[in-house]
Formats: sequence, structure tokens, C-alpha cells
Amino acid sequence: MGNRAISSPRLFIECIVVIMSTGHVLLGLLAERPQHGYELKKEHDQRLAGAKPLAYGQVYATLQRLERDGFAEVAETRQEGGPERTLYAITEEGRAELERWLGTIEPPAPYVAGGLFARVAVAGKAADGYLVRQREAHLARMRELTAEKASGTPARVLAADYALQHLDADLRWIETALARMKEEGDHA
Amino acid sequence: MLEARGLSKSFGRARALDGVSVEIAPGEVVAVTGPSGAGKSTLLHCLAGVLRPESGEVVLDGRRIDTLGEAELTALRRQSFGIVFQFGELVPELSAVENVALPLLFNRHGRGEAMAAAAEWLERLEVADCADQRIGELSGGQRQRVAVARALVTGPRVVFADEPTGALDTLGGEQVMTAMLGAARAGGAAVVLVTHDNRVAAYADREITLRDGAVLAGVNP
Amino acid sequence: MITVLRMLNRGRSRPERVRAWLVGAGAGVAAFLVCTAVSLADFRDEGGSLTGLALALLALPVAGLVHQANRLATATRERRLAALRLAGAAPGDVRRLGALEGGWLALTGSLAGSVVYALTHLPGPLAPVPFVVVLMTAGGVVSGARAGRDVIASPLGVTRRPRVRGPRVRDLLLALTGVALLVAGLTLKGGFPIGGKYGTAVAMAAGMVLLLFGLTMAATWLIRACAARIGRRARSPETLLAARLVESDPRAWARALSVVGLTVFFGAGSGAQQAGTGYWHAHALIDVALLLAMLTSAAALVVHQAEELIDLRRSFAALAAAGVPERSLGRVLVRQAAIAALPVCAVAAAAGVGVVVFSVLDIYQARWLVWALTRAVAMTGIGVLTAMLVALAARPLLRGALRLETLRAGR
Ligand SMILES: Nc1ncnc2c1ncn2[C@@H]1O[C@H](COP(=O)(O)OP(=O)(O)O)[C@@H](O)[C@H]1O
Ligand SMILES: [Mg+2]
Repeated sequence: MGNRAISSPRLFIECIVVIMSTGHVLLGLLAERPQHGYELKKEHDQRLAGAKPLAYGQVYATLQRLERDGFAEVAETRQEGGPERTLYAITEEGRAELERWLGTIEPPAPYVAGGLFARVAVAGKAADGYLVRQREAHLARMRELTAEKASGTPARVLAADYALQHLDADLRWIETALARMKEEGDHA
Repeated sequence: MLEARGLSKSFGRARALDGVSVEIAPGEVVAVTGPSGAGKSTLLHCLAGVLRPESGEVVLDGRRIDTLGEAELTALRRQSFGIVFQFGELVPELSAVENVALPLLFNRHGRGEAMAAAAEWLERLEVADCADQRIGELSGGQRQRVAVARALVTGPRVVFADEPTGALDTLGGEQVMTAMLGAARAGGAAVVLVTHDNRVAAYADREITLRDGAVLAGVNP
Repeated sequence: MITVLRMLNRGRSRPERVRAWLVGAGAGVAAFLVCTAVSLADFRDEGGSLTGLALALLALPVAGLVHQANRLATATRERRLAALRLAGAAPGDVRRLGALEGGWLALTGSLAGSVVYALTHLPGPLAPVPFVVVLMTAGGVVSGARAGRDVIASPLGVTRRPRVRGPRVRDLLLALTGVALLVAGLTLKGGFPIGGKYGTAVAMAAGMVLLLFGLTMAATWLIRACAARIGRRARSPETLLAARLVESDPRAWARALSVVGLTVFFGAGSGAQQAGTGYWHAHALIDVALLLAMLTSAAALVVHQAEELIDLRRSFAALAAAGVPERSLGRVLVRQAAIAALPVCAVAAAAGVGVVVFSVLDIYQARWLVWALTRAVAMTGIGVLTAMLVALAARPLLRGALRLETLRAGR
């Protein structure tokens, strides 16, 4: 298992989700129906399976920010014995903002897994053994994800697909790198 | 159960296999990967008794099969192995259900029984609707699933698949893979899966990587 | 167009050269036979004209062979022709290419055949020679143009099997016109209104070709109906495969079997006639000619078998890899031949006897029927047997087709 520590492929999804704006995701969920903060957290974690679960604190901080910017509003506050429950709803402005965000094209930044690429760039041909082991780690994770897909919910399957395709791209890069190194070795 | 020791095979000056040894346990799914020209198909054909290696041996359940006579070897392939090719290679003049029934008929089962079993397999692979269609009328994915049914209908010990999803898109390939592995697991058949697609290799329990006709050292767990 | 033809020819393989030879040689032999037949046809003498008829009959299977060989050309060149289509050639271009090649080969072949005729028959009449050469060349052009039809259908090179139609009135009319021309030739003899003796020969030849076309159409339909029936009931995999293969391409079988069927028809007819009348000498000659016709038509069957194996090789190689013994696949070929040949030969034999018996019903004696029917059954057997023997002889070809390399070449 030491292998996987080299550069956990799981890191990927996490990076991507962090880059993405949590505010917009919550707006998207609110666009379906008004929800409590607690519901929002559950919905978020289920939809974006494989991403890091949201902390409650982050949910409320984000909601307050949305309210401040006029994208969301408090629809109802109720207190029935228990703690105060605030129902949030999306505003017209919020819808427009959501629309804008959904239409925005992501910069096609190559997600070079920092550690992986940096190591090879530094070590050069000596990275051969490292790449072979990294390949093993990637493939092992891909096997896990493939197995998960067999029994997972639709949301999980989507997330697993996302991860699988990215890992596969990585793997193909590793294979090409290995082939290139071998070719250079043959010429030398 | 199926074991190969020191397989070598050349075509003219090209050395396709160079001392390859592998072992496949019952019910196991093994992916054979590697760049094209590495000898994957040649290894598969040697294991499946379609090609005879120049040196080395292939043993199935303790019996050497590479030295069997042609008639015995053919019967063994028919009864113990199933093969799926990249393009299905079904008989275009027959309907889907007749294609699947064919191996049973060649094993001398009656027509009614063979057709019933074939229809059942098509159902299991979710292509029952296509039973009476000619192969030319099927999509690539349907064709491959019919080919899988044909390979599994005799209840083989080992299923050999050479790039079974090579001609399909991602989703089509995924459906064929899950259908094939599900059916193979249910029947207790081992699967030898040749592929150069890592996403397909990820379905296997383990991987054998070939490079220039030899098993790449240090890769296998 | 000529440039493209040259380009295609430069890259041709051994089988293609063999095929070109076959076309040329076939055209040569046919030209020689027809010239000899015309020179022999002396309508004052019944025996002489019967001999001429027999020789002309012999030219038919040879012409059939030429057409088959032209078809084989498109089968082997399928990929390259398809590439031509993808490169922007119109269907007409491809058809013209085939016509040009077929015409060219037929022209050179028939010229060679005529030279041989002129040398061996120095005193014989030379007038019909240019006529025969033109006829043969025209035949080559037509056959070459028609041969590429399947490929032309799709630039992707998937040969679309033409849909088989049921019997049509046109087919019947063709056959009837053929019969009428033949009968006219036989009754008018030398006194044909246009061209006299040569006119008779041409009319009879044309009649024979038309009859052959019509019969081929009818046979296509008959073969498919029988094969479908057998396929539905087949218990063994060999029979199932054989029936389905025949059913999916009955037209090719009908074409290959048309001359066999004609031979059986004439054989049974002459048998029915022999039972009652004299002319033993001429009848014996016709029998010999029929036997030779059967042998030549076997060559057409061989070509068809080769063409079919090109089509089958991928699925058969996959079956062999999956553990189907070569012996079984050989059996499929033989059963295919039997399934296709049996209905054709049986119907042809019955028709042969029927035509003779009905034309002289008033004087035909019941005891002659025994001999006539025996002959008919024998002719059917010979026809079917010929087809099956050809299929048996194709086994070495089958072995070549089953090699694993077949599956290596991508689609
Ligand atoms: N029938 C054959 N004739 C000639 N060369 C062959 C034949 N089969 C395989 N080879 C050669 O053997 C090598 C391995 O081929 P193969 O097993 O098909 O590789 P892979 O399936 O990994 O792409 C290649 O170099 C190929 O050219
Ligand atoms: Mg291969």
C-alpha cells in the first residue's frame, strides 16, 4: 500500500471540487427547491459523491455570503422546540448568476498532477522505476473504482467515471513517457 | 488450472513470444495488456490452443494440451473454451439466436434444446429483442453481446477475449464488459482478456503486461 | 480511365492474373467452339446440325465460366474498387472500368481462339469469324459491367446482397422467347428469313442465352424457397449453416448451376426421345456433348465455390478457432451444393421429360416412360453429384481460408 502514498489519485477529485465554487453548487441546489442548510449539505455530499464532504460551518458561511450578494434569501424561519431552522430560497438575481456560471467555459487547464509530473521532470530517465510503480498504484485505484461502479448509486457511478477517465489519461501519459524513455535509451 | 510455461513463438524473423509463463486460476479474470505488437494476441491464441507454441508447454488441469492431436484439440476448444474476437466474427447469414445455438449444435445437442438455451443466453445479455435478426442488422455493441453469448453458451472453463471492446465506444464497451464478466462469474469461467485499454483492464482481478514478447518484470503484485 | 485501369493492373496479385488468364482463355475456347459449330451446322443433314448444336451448347458453359471469372475479379478487387469509390469515382466509372477490362480480355481471347480455328479449319468458312469475335467482345463488355454491381452499391465496400425477388412475368417471357427462338431455328433450319444459315445459328444461340437467363431467375427463387424450408427444419449444425448460406445468396448458386440445370434438362429430354426414335448416332454424340458440358459447368461451379469462400473465410475461421472441426465445415460446403443443386436438377429433369412427352403425346408409348424416367433420375443424380464433387474438391481451398491469419487482417 506504500505505493499509493506516492501521489494519491484520489487527490484529483478533491482538487477539482475545491477549485469549483461551492457557492454556485449550492445555488444550483436551491434552484430546484428552497432548502435548509442541513438538507443542502446532505444533497451536496450525495450529488458530488467522491468529493470531500462539506463542513456545516462552510455551508452556513456560504449561504450568508449568497444572501449578502443578493443571490439567496431567507424564505422562512421556524423554531419548533428544536434549534432554529432557516429555509433558504434562490432569488431572481441568483438565478441569473447561476445561469451565467453554468454557461461559463472552464479554462482547459491541464490538471498535471503536480507531484507526478514534477518528479519525472526532475528525475528524468531515472524516473523509470518510479513510473512503473505509479502505474501500478493508478491501476489498483482504477480497479477499486470499477468495482464500486458495479454496486454504486447513479451519482457514484458518474463520479467514478470522472475519476476513471482522468486516471486513464494519467496512465496513458505514464505509458507514453515510459515508451519515450525506452526509445531514447535505445538511441543512446 | 490453465498454465503456460516458457512459451515461445516466432513468425519468420519476428519473435512474437519469448519465454512467457502465466498461470490462471479457476474463475479468475486476468487482463493481458501491453503496446500493440507486444504478442498479446499470440499469447491468447497459444493459451486457447488455436496456435501451437514452438517451445514451452500449455497445461489445462494437469493435461498438456499443446501436444494434443488436431482432432482432440479441436474438441477441447469446443467444449472447454470460448472465444470472443474484436469484431465478433459471427456468421452473418445466421440469425443471432442461431449463431448462439451453433456451438451447442456442434456439441450434438438437439435443435430445440440448443435454440432454447441460446434464447436464454440472449435474454441474460439483454439482446433478446435481436434474436431473430441477422447479424448485419445489429449494432456493434449488440453484436459483441451476441458473440459473448456464443462464447459462454457451452459453459466453458475459460473465456478468451481479444480486444472485445476495441470497436465500441465507452458506454457500449462498459455494457459488454459487465455482461461478459457477470455471465462468466455466474458460470465459474475464468476470463483471459486482451486489451490495450486501461479502463477495460481495470475490470480484471490482475494484470499481465507484455512488452516485446516477454512479461514485464516487477509489475505484477 | 485507361490510366486507372493500368494502375489497377500493375498492382494485381497472382490470383488476379490467373483470373485474367481464365477470362481470356475462356473467351478463346468459346470463340473456337462457336466458329466450329457454325461451320458444321449443315441443315441439309440432321446429324451435322445436331453436332453443331452440341458444340454450340458446349460454348455456353464456357461463356458462363467467363462471366463467373469476371465476377470473381470484383470479389478479389473489392477493397480497391471501394477505395476508388471513396476517392470519388461514380458508380458509372467503376462499371465502365469493369466493362473495359472484360471487353479487352474477351477481345484478345476470342481473337486468339479465331486464329486457332482458322489454322485448324483452313478449308472451312471464315465469314462468321469476325462476327463471332464481335459477339464475344460485346459479351465480355456486358459481363464486366454487370459483375461490379454489388461493389458499386456502396463505397464502403460492404457488398450489399441484392434482394431476391419472387418469380416475375419478365423472367417467364425471357425463357419463352428463348424457347421460341430455339424452336424457330430448329424448324426453319437453313431457311431463316435474315442471314440464312448464319441467321439460324445466331437466333438459336440468342435463344439459348435468353432461356438460360430466364431459367436462372426461376432457379434463384426455387433455390431460396427450398433452402429456407430446409433451414427451418435442420437438426444438424452443418445442414443449418448450409441451408442459411444458400438462402442468403441463392442468385450466385442459380448462376453457377444454370448450365448444370440446362445439361440435365437436355439430358433428360434426349433420354425421353431416345426411348422411341432412332438417330442413335446423333443421340450418342449429344450425350458426349452433354457430358462435356457437365464437366465445363463444373469449372463454373469451382469458380463460384472460390468466390464464396472469399466471402465466408472470416466467419469460418472464427468458427474453426472456436473448435468446429474442419471436417464439419467441409461438410457444410458439400451440403450447400446438394441443397442448391437438388431442386434445380430435379425440376430441370422433369421439365426435360415433360417437354418431349407432351410434344409427341399422341404416339408416346407408356413403356418408353420407364427408360425416360430412369434417364431423368440418372441425370438428376449426375447433376447433384457434380456439384457435390466440386464442393469436395474445394476442401484444400477451405483449409487455406481457415488459417488464423485470416482473422489478423483488420476489417
Ligand atoms: N501470422 C503472423 N504472421 C506474421 N507475423 C505475425 C503473425 N502473428 C503475429 N505476428 C507478429 O508477432 C508480433 C506480435 O503480434 P500480436 O500477438 O498480434 O501482438 P498484439 O496482439 O500484442 O498486438 C507482431 O510483431 C506481429 O507482427
Ligand atoms: Mg492483437
